[in-house]
Amino acid sequence: MTAKDETLGDMLARRGFSRRGLLKFAIAMTASLALPPGMAQAMAENLAKAKRQSVIWLSFQECTGCLETLLRTSSPTIAGLIFDFISLDYQEALMAASGSAAELTLRQAVAANKGKYLLAIDGSVPVKDGGVYSLTGGKANVSMLEEFSGDAAAILAIGSCAAYGGIPKAHPNPTGAVGVEDVITGKPIVNIPGCPPIPEVLSGVLVYFVSFGRLPDLDDKKRPLAYFGTTIHDQCYRRPFYDQGKFAKSFDDEGARQGWCLFELGCKGPTTHNACASLKWNDGTSFPIESGHGCLGCSEPDFWDQEGGFYTSLAGGTGPGWRDAGIAAAVGIAGGAAAAFAARHKIPKPAKETPE
Amino acid sequence: MTDFDFLGHDGLVDALLMEVADLLQTFLFHRCPGTIDLLGLPLSPACLAALEQRLGDGEIAVVLRVSGESQIRETSFPGVWWTRHADETGRIVALLIEVADAPEILRAGKADMENSLRRLGEVTNFAQARSAR
Repeated sequence: MTAKDETLGDMLARRGFSRRGLLKFAIAMTASLALPPGMAQAMAENLAKAKRQSVIWLSFQECTGCLETLLRTSSPTIAGLIFDFISLDYQEALMAASGSAAELTLRQAVAANKGKYLLAIDGSVPVKDGGVYSLTGGKANVSMLEEFSGDAAAILAIGSCAAYGGIPKAHPNPTGAVGVEDVITGKPIVNIPGCPPIPEVLSGVLVYFVSFGRLPDLDDKKRPLAYFGTTIHDQCYRRPFYDQGKFAKSFDDEGARQGWCLFELGCKGPTTHNACASLKWNDGTSFPIESGHGCLGCSEPDFWDQEGGFYTSLAGGTGPGWRDAGIAAAVGIAGGAAAAFAARHKIPKPAKETPE
Repeated sequence: MTDFDFLGHDGLVDALLMEVADLLQTFLFHRCPGTIDLLGLPLSPACLAALEQRLGDGEIAVVLRVSGESQIRETSFPGVWWTRHADETGRIVALLIEVADAPEILRAGKADMENSLRRLGEVTNFAQARSAR
């Protein structure tokens, strides 16, 4: 049996995973994808019969943070094995080939999987001046996108740059950066925004596509509803404090220490759709609000240019008392410097003599 | 005492118990299993604890060790199961109330049983070959 013929069920059995293991994975995925729990068995059966899915990944105007976070998903899970099961036929940063050999690989992968491959894009698409600001092998990103989207089954726009233009699009947008859907129409596109996006969301979308042969239900910004259907605020564990009107007024006041709501410190949770508060980051460790900082709204369009900046409340106002904070910081720095100076110039006392 | 206790939970627990009763009735009439995904509901830890306590402990408790540990426990209401699936890191990936004669995941899979038969065949063939020597 060749790798192409092998089903996911065969591969899991070969690696010692039982049908129960696959069903357990499907139960967790249906919960993650907000599907009716009764669909878990159908998902497990479909996954067991699924063949290797080709993914062609093109990186455009990006920082590689999206790829980095997706590679950091937790290791020996079935989700990890499903990443193994996906045939990542082209990814410039990961593949050994380069130059003309890499370009040949790309064309062979497209020809072999015509109409079936998923085209994954990270990074925005610069379109100003014919797209000359980002080229691969001398070819503009926008031309590559137009060429390789033609035979794709669907497009995954991974990260806020690919979804909406992201940071490259921020004012004054010197390269004319846009998102994938500003260039491509008439193709199924799923946006998986975030700076970076949550790895589990990508695995959820891949598992759904492999299981049911189509993209999951999307919202009006083409994001998977299961993960972007509610706001960070709706799921936030600090939400009861918002409802009670208990707000931190600065990052080091009593309210902040008590874990009160960060709304007045500029938290964009109420207008940001994402699953950070439920899926969390770093294998479920925490998410920004849990670490004491408001949400920046990185999964929403134009988050970098939002009015008032990151630290002004959505209700307006002046944000935290930066002047006071600045003075406190200056006093702290001066105090720290003095202490450090004193410590470095302190003559150590001789060790106390001990009786013999 | 948690941050959420002031919200109260009696109403939510009662509503969920009514849903469980409805699923049990459906199963008895149509043999159609039902599941409630508790992680998908906005339940506080206090509310979950109250629900678990109201359902109580039954006669069966099973530990499933595959891709992390799962605890499957029948509640004091036969046919109503409290299932907690954790991954390899111990994180809860699914928390369910299942209504069925037995949760589906307890059944052995056909392919796994075929594999068992093959392995048993190897063992018995080896034993026969050894006794023939």
